[in-house]
Amino acid sequence: MHLSGSLSSWTAYLGLLSALSATFAPAVAVKEHDFKKCHQSGFCARNRAFADHALAASSWESPYNILADAGSFKDGQYQGVVLKTINDAGETVRLPITISFLESGTARVTVDEEKRQKGEIELRHNSKARKERYNEAENWVIVGGLALDKAAKVEQEDKTQLTVKYGPSSKFEAVIKFSPFSIDFKRDGQSHIKFNEQGLLNVEHWRPKVDKPAEPEKEDDAADSGNEDENNEGKEDKETKEEPKKEDESTWWEESFGGNTDTKPRGPESVALDISFIGYEHVFGIPSHAGPLSLKQTRGGDGNYQEPYRMYNADVFEYILDSPMTLYGSIPFMQAHRKDSSVGVFWLNAAETWVDITKGKDAKNPMALGVKSKTSTHTHWMSESGLLDVFVFLGPTPKDLTAKFTELTGTTAMPQEFAIGYHQCRWNYISEDDVKEVDRKMDKFKMPYDVIWLDIEYSDDKKYFAWDKHSFPNPLDMHKQLDSRGRKIVTINDPHIKNVDNYPVVQELKSKGFGVLNKDGNIFEGWCWPGSSHWLDAFNPAAREWWASLFNYDKFKGTMENTFIWNDMNEPSVFNGPETTMPKDNLHHGNWEHRDVHNLNGMTFHNATYHALLSRKPGELRRPFVLTRSFFAGSQRAAAMWTGDNQADWGHLAASIPMVLSQGISGFPFSGADVGGFFGNPDKDLLTRWYQVGAFNPFFRAHAHIDARRREPYLHGEPYTTIISAALRLRYSLLPSWYTAFRHAHLDGSPIIKPMFYTHPSEEAGFALDDQFFVGTTGLLAKPVVEKDKTSVDIWIPDGEAYYDYFTYDVIPTAKGKTVTLDAPLEKIPLLMRGGHIFARRDIPRRSSALMKWDDYTLVVAASKDAKTPAEGDLYVDDGDSFDFQQGQYIHRRFVFDAAAKTLSSVDYEGRDSEAVKEGEWMKKMRSVGVDKVIIVGAPASWAGKKTVTVESEGKTWEAKMEFTPAEKGRAAFAVVRKLGVRIGADWKVVF
Amino acid sequence: MRKTPALALFGAIAQGSLAAAESVPRGVGPEFIKYYKDKSTFTCITTPSVTLSFSQVNDNSCDCPDGSDEPGTAACANLDSLSPEQPLPGSSTGTTNTTNPLPGFWCANAGHIGAYVPFMYVNDGVCDYELCCDGSDEFAHVGGVQCENRCDAIGKEHRRLEQQRRESKERSAKKKQGMLKEARQLRLRVEARIASLKKEIAGLESKKLELQKKYEDVERSERNKVVKTGEKGGKLSTLVELSKKRVSELRSALDVVLDQRDDLLDRVEQLEEILTKFKEEYNPNFNDEGVKAAVKSWEDYAAAQADEKKSDLSDADIMELLKEDGETSGINWAEFENGDDSDVDAGFNWLPTPARDFVRGKVDSFRIWAMDHGIVADTRGDVGESRAVKAAREALEAVKNDITSKTSALEEEERDLTKDYGKNDIFRALKGKCISTEAGEYDYELCWIDRTTQKSKKGHGNTNMGNFVRIDTEMVDEEERADGKGLGKGMRMVLRYENGQGCWNGPQRRTDVWLACAETEELWRVTESEKCVYKMEVGTPAACEDIQEASASAKDEL
Repeated sequence: MHLSGSLSSWTAYLGLLSALSATFAPAVAVKEHDFKKCHQSGFCARNRAFADHALAASSWESPYNILADAGSFKDGQYQGVVLKTINDAGETVRLPITISFLESGTARVTVDEEKRQKGEIELRHNSKARKERYNEAENWVIVGGLALDKAAKVEQEDKTQLTVKYGPSSKFEAVIKFSPFSIDFKRDGQSHIKFNEQGLLNVEHWRPKVDKPAEPEKEDDAADSGNEDENNEGKEDKETKEEPKKEDESTWWEESFGGNTDTKPRGPESVALDISFIGYEHVFGIPSHAGPLSLKQTRGGDGNYQEPYRMYNADVFEYILDSPMTLYGSIPFMQAHRKDSSVGVFWLNAAETWVDITKGKDAKNPMALGVKSKTSTHTHWMSESGLLDVFVFLGPTPKDLTAKFTELTGTTAMPQEFAIGYHQCRWNYISEDDVKEVDRKMDKFKMPYDVIWLDIEYSDDKKYFAWDKHSFPNPLDMHKQLDSRGRKIVTINDPHIKNVDNYPVVQELKSKGFGVLNKDGNIFEGWCWPGSSHWLDAFNPAAREWWASLFNYDKFKGTMENTFIWNDMNEPSVFNGPETTMPKDNLHHGNWEHRDVHNLNGMTFHNATYHALLSRKPGELRRPFVLTRSFFAGSQRAAAMWTGDNQADWGHLAASIPMVLSQGISGFPFSGADVGGFFGNPDKDLLTRWYQVGAFNPFFRAHAHIDARRREPYLHGEPYTTIISAALRLRYSLLPSWYTAFRHAHLDGSPIIKPMFYTHPSEEAGFALDDQFFVGTTGLLAKPVVEKDKTSVDIWIPDGEAYYDYFTYDVIPTAKGKTVTLDAPLEKIPLLMRGGHIFARRDIPRRSSALMKWDDYTLVVAASKDAKTPAEGDLYVDDGDSFDFQQGQYIHRRFVFDAAAKTLSSVDYEGRDSEAVKEGEWMKKMRSVGVDKVIIVGAPASWAGKKTVTVESEGKTWEAKMEFTPAEKGRAAFAVVRKLGVRIGADWKVVF
Repeated sequence: MRKTPALALFGAIAQGSLAAAESVPRGVGPEFIKYYKDKSTFTCITTPSVTLSFSQVNDNSCDCPDGSDEPGTAACANLDSLSPEQPLPGSSTGTTNTTNPLPGFWCANAGHIGAYVPFMYVNDGVCDYELCCDGSDEFAHVGGVQCENRCDAIGKEHRRLEQQRRESKERSAKKKQGMLKEARQLRLRVEARIASLKKEIAGLESKKLELQKKYEDVERSERNKVVKTGEKGGKLSTLVELSKKRVSELRSALDVVLDQRDDLLDRVEQLEEILTKFKEEYNPNFNDEGVKAAVKSWEDYAAAQADEKKSDLSDADIMELLKEDGETSGINWAEFENGDDSDVDAGFNWLPTPARDFVRGKVDSFRIWAMDHGIVADTRGDVGESRAVKAAREALEAVKNDITSKTSALEEEERDLTKDYGKNDIFRALKGKCISTEAGEYDYELCWIDRTTQKSKKGHGNTNMGNFVRIDTEMVDEEERADGKGLGKGMRMVLRYENGQGCWNGPQRRTDVWLACAETEELWRVTESEKCVYKMEVGTPAACEDIQEASASAKDEL
C-alpha cells in the first residue's frame, strides 16, 4: 500500500466508521477465538473424552488386538491385522498393520483400515472424495532411509507377543504385545518408548450414518459459537460418566465453526495413539509453537497449558506467546531427552493434529520402569484423518535423532550464500526510487546487506507476476543497480490468484483446471489480498509444471538472475475460510480432501516454487532461494522459514530464540524471526537488541508492517546506528562459519544454532535452557539480551572448558554447571568462545556477501584449558550459487591446533586428495584466496618473545611474523600470526 | 589475497602493489606522500612507536595499529567503530575501534578529479567508477574483474555537467533576482494598500465624528417633536430599530449555521456512501469480527435513520427567511418606521406556508410580548424617530461600517506583511501558485505557503497533507543526481506543512517540503518517510544561492 492517503481497502472504511461511532472496541487484540480449541474440534474432543474415560477407569482394556495367526515377519517387516472390537457383541473391524524395521535403526508402524482401503464405504452428499485413508503423505515427505533392515530378526514369538531385534548391533528391540495391542521399544534391554501403554489407541472406523429421531443438537451449537465458556472439562466428565458406553455422535457427520460448516462426507475417521517416553522428563520439537523449547504439559495444572499442542497450519494474525496454539507450519517430530539419551517419534500425518502431553512419576505398569522411579512423559497424538503412521527413533544422542529424522525427510538444502546474509524487508518498499534510495543509504552508512524485499504492493493490484506500472515502471533498472553490488531482490508470489478478468494467470489456471476445487468439484473461490481469488493446487504435477513456467525470465518480466521468491499465505490463508484457511471438504488433485493434506499444502507450494527457480532459463542451474511461511517435515529441502507475523515487543523478541532453536532440532534450521517485530513500532533499544539477536538467527531478516514507521537500520541516530552496524558486521565477518554450519546441516541435519541439551546431552541443568545456544561447530556461545533495560546476563556454563569473551579475549571465570554474570550494556552482545575450537572469519567489512567472496580468511583459535586437548574446527566454502559442489567443487578444511605439539594444521575435512579434484572455474579463482591471519586466544605463555613461526605448504617452507601479547588484567594471552601466505584450499602446517 | 596467483603460490612477500615507476605506494593521497618517503622502514602515522620494514606497506596484511601501512589495500578496513571490536595492542584505544589517519584509498583519476575511495571498496570486485574512474581500486582483479580507465569519458561528462550546472545556476540566480524583484513589488503593493487604507480610515474617522455630531444635533432638535407625538410611539420606533438589528443579526447567524449544517450534511452523506459501499462489497463470510461488528453497527444506524422524522422546515423556506428584508420580502420595516403606526398584520403571504407560519408565529408572539410589557400600544400607532434623525443616524452607521471593514482589511494586509515569506520575502512571488507531480496512483500538489494535497488517480478523493506553518533550515547530505534534481549537500530550506487530514489510527498528516535550487518550480519527488509524514523534494529558484556566492562555491568544488 502506498502513501497513507490511500485508504482504499475496507480497512479504510472500517477506520472511518470507528472514528464515526465508538460503539465497538477496536479489533487489535489476538484473535484467539478465530481458532479452535480442542473442544471445538470434534475429533479432538472425542479423543480427549476417550482418554479421560480410559484413564479414569479402574481397569481399562484397549479394544485393539493383533490377530495372532494373521501376521508374518519377512525381510525386516511385520505385516498383520489389528482387530478393533466395536461393540459388546464383539463385532470387529480389521485394521491392517505394518511394522517396518529400517536399516537406519528406525522403526515404522503403519495402521490402515481395510474397509476404507478397499473402498467398501459409502460417501455422503455425493462426494467425489477418495474413500481410502490418505496414504500419500510419504510421497511428499520421505526422501530416503526406507530400506528395510534385512538383519532385523524375530527373537521370540508366541501367541501373545512377538519380539524383534533390530538396529545397529541389534541393540534395539520391539516387543509387540498382541492383546491388547501395544509395542514396547527398547534399547539395550531397557524400555524407552511405548505405544498404547495407556490404551488410548483409537482408529475411528467407517460406519454408515444412521439417522436417529430427535438427536440433540446442542453440542453443535456449542462448537459453533467459539465464544462459549471454554471451561467445559466438567461437562465432558459428566457426559462420560453418565453414559460411558454411548459414543457422542454429535460431531461425526457435520461440524460448524465460525459460520462455516464442514460436511464431512466420510464421517468420523480420526486416528490417535498414546506414546509414552519411559523415564524421560523433557520432550522437545513439534514446531511451530510460541512457547518454551521444552514442551509443557497440556492437561491443566499449575504452569501448564489447558489445551493440547495443535498442528493445523494457519495464518495466526498477531499470535500470542507461551501458547500451544497452532502457528503457520508444523513438523510432527518429537524428541524426548534425559541424561545421556535421546529418543523420538515422527508422526507422519498431514491432517489436523493435536498432542496432549502429561508427565508423571508413576507408571501404570511398574514393569515398564527401569531400576529406579523416574518421571515419564506421556503423549497422546490425535489426527483427524489419514493413516496412523509413526516412525520411532531410539537415539541415543540428539545428533542421532536429527540425523535419522533428516535421513527420512531430507536435510537443509545448501543455501544460496547470499541468503545467510542480512535481508532488508518492509511491507512495502513502495517504488523503484524507494528501493534504490534504501540501497544507497545502506552503502552510505557502510552497513552490509544482501537482499531487499518487495511485499505484495509491488504487484499490479495483487496480480502476481505483473509489476505495478506506476511505482515500478522499470524493474530491471532497479535489479541492475542492486546487482552491481552483488545484491538481490526477493518478490512475494502467493498461491492465491486474483479472480479478475483480463489476468492471463487466472485465466490459464481456470482453463487448465489447476485450481483447488470445492466440495462440489467446482473451482474454489475465496478471499485473500486480491479480493476474490482461486488457489493453485500444487498437489497436481501438471499445475506445478505450469507454475514453474510462470517464473521464466521472459514470462515474469522485470525479473532477472538476482530475483528470488517469497511464498507467503500458503497455509493456505483464506480470509473468509474456517480458521482463515480452506474448507476441509475442498478437493485437491486425486480427489483427496483438504482435511487429509492440509499441513502439506504449504510445502507443496514452496516446492513448486523451488522447482520453478531451477529452470527460469534454459541451461541455467542455480540454487533457488525460497522463503516460506507454511511448512511441514521436509520443507527444509527447499526453503527457509520465518516465524510469521510477530510483534514489536520484548516478549516476542525473547520468544524468537526458543522458536528458532525448536526449528533447528526438528530438521528445519534455516529459520528466523522478523527483526524489529512485524506489527508495531519498536523503540530504539528494542530494535537494537533485535539486531543483536537477528545476527544469530540462521535466517536474518528485518521486516515491518505497512503501518509501522520506517525503521531501516541507518535511521536511528547514535549510538544505535553504530551498534546496529556492529551487529550486522559481526554477522558478515562470521559468514564463513555460518556457511560451514549450513554445510553440516546439509550433511546430517544438524541444527545451525544448538541448544544446551543438544551439545551437552549429559548436563541435566541445561536441558530446559532455551535462551542461550552454540553456533554450529564454532564453540561460540551466545546469550543475547532480550529484556528491556537489562545490562547484564547470566550464562550457564555447561562444561569445564575455558571460555573467552569474543570481543575482549577476557578469560571468563567459569566453572562447569555454574552461571556466570556478564556485563551487557546495549552495545554488547554476550558472546563467548569455548576453548578447544577453531573458526573462520572474514574481517574486511564489505557491502554484501558477494563482495567478500575473494577476501582472505582470519582463523581464530580458542585454545583449550588443557594443553593436551587440541582445538579443532572446520571451514566449508563453495561458489555459493551453483550445484557444482555436488561434483566436488568445494573446499572443506579441518583445522587442528595442537598446543603440545606446537602445530596448527589444515587438512581436507574428508581426507580427499585435494590434487585429485579437477578444478572448475571457481576453484581456480580460489587459488588466490588465502589465510591473512591466525589469532590464537589463550596462547601459551611460553611463546613470549617468539617473533616468527614456520609455515609449510605445498612443498615449501617459510617464516611468518608472529606477535605475542601476554595475559593482562583478566585478558588471555594471545598471539597473532600475520601474512601466513598459504592458500585456503591447500594443506598447510604452522609450527610455533 | 591481493597478489598475483604466482606470488601467492610461493607465499613470498608481495611487493606487487608498488607501481614500478612511482615511488609513492599505491593508494597514498597527495597530502600523505611525506609519510612514505623512506623506503627502508615505515613508521605508522599516528602510532609512531610501531616501525615496520617498508616491505610491509601494502602487503595486504594489517600491521600498523592505526592501519596506515595499508594505504592501497582493504586489509585495515575493519579498523573503525562499526566493525566488531577486537583487541589491538598499540592502537590508541587498545582495540580495533580506532581511527585510520588515511581517509581512504587515493584514486588519482587523471583527467578527472582525484578522490578517496573507502578502503572497504578496494578489491571487492566492483568497479566503483563514480569514485574511482581510473579503475585503480580493483588492481588485484579479484574474481577476474577488469576495471578499465574511464576517466576521459567520465571527466568530460563531469565537466559538461558542471558547465551545465553552472549555467543553470546562473540562470536560476537570475530568475531568483526576478522573483525577489516581484516579491519586493508585491510587498510594496501591500504596503501601499496599507497606507491608502490608513489614510481612508483616518478620513472616515473624521467624517464619523462629523456625522456623529450632526446626528446628535438633529436628534436634539427633533426630540421635542417626537416627544410631542407621544412617548409610546418613540418607544416603538426604538424597539423596531432594535428588532431590525436583532433580526439582521439572527439572519446572519442562521446563515452561518446553515453553511455549517450543509458541510456536515455533505460529510455525513460521504460517510454514508462509503459505508453503504462497504456493506455492499464486504464479504459476509469474512472471518473478521471487526468487520462483522462494523457492518452490524452500520445496519442498525441505517435502520434508525429511516425511522427518524424529517424537519418540516425545508431548505427553500430557510432560503426565503434569509432574504434581506424589504418591500417584497420579509418584514417591510419601513412600514413601522414611517410613523404610520397602525397595527400592521404584516402580510406574509409571499412566504411559503411553513415559513409563513413560522414567521407569523414569531412576530405575533413578539407583539403580544411587547403589548404585555406596555411597550406597544394596543390601538394607535404613532411615529418613532423622524426622517431627519433616521437619515443622520444611517449616515453615521454607514461610515462606522465602512471603518470596520476597512480596518479589518488593513489588519489582514498588516498580518500578511509580518507573515514569514522567507528571506527577502521571496515566497511572496510564489504565493497562490501550485506545482504537482505524480507518484504511483496519486498526484501530489504543493501550493506555496498554503497547503499540500494528495489526489487519487483512482477517484478516492483528495487528502490534505498539511497546511503551511513556517520555514526552517536543515542540513542535508545526499548524493548529487545526474539530472541535478536532488537536494545535494548543505543547508536547505524546509517548508513545514502541518495539521493535515488525520490518518487512520495515526497522527495528522504533515509534509516537509525540502527546497533545492532549480531553474523552475518543480516537484521532483514525494516520499512517505514514515506513516503520514511526507517529504517533498522541490526545486525552485527561490532556493538558489545568489550569483556571487554561486560562482564562489563553484570555484571551491574545483
